[in-house]
Amino acid sequence: MSIQPVAGNEDPRALVLWTRRYAKSRTMSFLVQWVIIVIMVLLIGLAATVTNRAYVEGNALRYWASVSAMVAAILVLVWFSTSNWGGRLIWRVTSWLYRHEGYVAYSEERPLSTRRWWMTVLGGGLVVYHLAGALLVSFHYLELRHMQPFSALYMAPFLMFMVYWQRLGFWAWIWPVLYALHAVLLLSGVALLQFQGEWQLLNMVIPVLGYGLISILAGHLYSRFALYKLKKLARVAADSTDAEPAKDDRP
Amino acid sequence: MSELDRTIHEPARLRILTILSGIDVADFSFLCNTLGLTKGNLSSHMDRLEKAGYVEVNKTFNGKVPHTEFRISTEGRDALDAYWSSIDAIRSMALPEDDQAEDQGRNGKT
Repeated sequence: MSIQPVAGNEDPRALVLWTRRYAKSRTMSFLVQWVIIVIMVLLIGLAATVTNRAYVEGNALRYWASVSAMVAAILVLVWFSTSNWGGRLIWRVTSWLYRHEGYVAYSEERPLSTRRWWMTVLGGGLVVYHLAGALLVSFHYLELRHMQPFSALYMAPFLMFMVYWQRLGFWAWIWPVLYALHAVLLLSGVALLQFQGEWQLLNMVIPVLGYGLISILAGHLYSRFALYKLKKLARVAADSTDAEPAKDDRP
Repeated sequence: MSELDRTIHEPARLRILTILSGIDVADFSFLCNTLGLTKGNLSSHMDRLEKAGYVEVNKTFNGKVPHTEFRISTEGRDALDAYWSSIDAIRSMALPEDDQAEDQGRNGKT
């Protein structure tokens, strides 16, 4: 029996490292959720715009139709986020997207706590905080252009806590860090987004969703690299450990 | 020194078990794609590992499509640790001889 010494990155044990890195950076399920959320946000935004115009024009029928559509879209979004059906749909679409790579999961690092009520409280706090922000804007205590920095004050620590608590991986940190940086730059006078009038809300919506997408894509790109390294290493490991076949494997 | 575990020493099974040792669960398709093995080849290796008690197999259906997941068992993890300990021990003994051979090669000696 011959044993070929291997060293450094060619050691088959490095397979463990790259398999874990690949498993932890598979972000397609987050992309599926992101797309669904964007669609729902666009529908809600469209309904809100139609509602506003109908109110200005005094068109009662269109006003109530668009209010109903807006409420329905919000309810669908909440239902989708909390129901098993939503989870199953995400699972199916994700499985289809990864159909050529198969399924792999690494869950050794459990969340720090299984007390889910923290998530509910903080998530509820996020909604209440932004509703309070909207009210402050409505009553002219806060300018709409300051809504993003106001949002980041809660959103960035909230996302950081969630990333840390759920052990989402390094790529997920990109989201809260960029969102916080965006707020700091705005407060420093840097003109990042310049939507005016009824589009001003996009100055907040685009960073929230945009940095989320950047984070997801960064994770996905890293997963491509990790998979490449994993496959390469698996083949190098095959060559380097290609000892004689064990006796019980010989014909 | 204990004898090397023949089940694990086969290169494909060693890679399969090493990959499974780093994660919670992987399916047949992932292992097939990553290791570049044919379905039949992978299937026979997984049978061997399952019979040895080194992997746990979970067969389900996604609709009408069969889906097989594998995870390393405690016995498999222990056996893999023992295997690498043996390999490291063999390497540490073989290393000085290799160095000598390299030196001889550099000096043009046979």
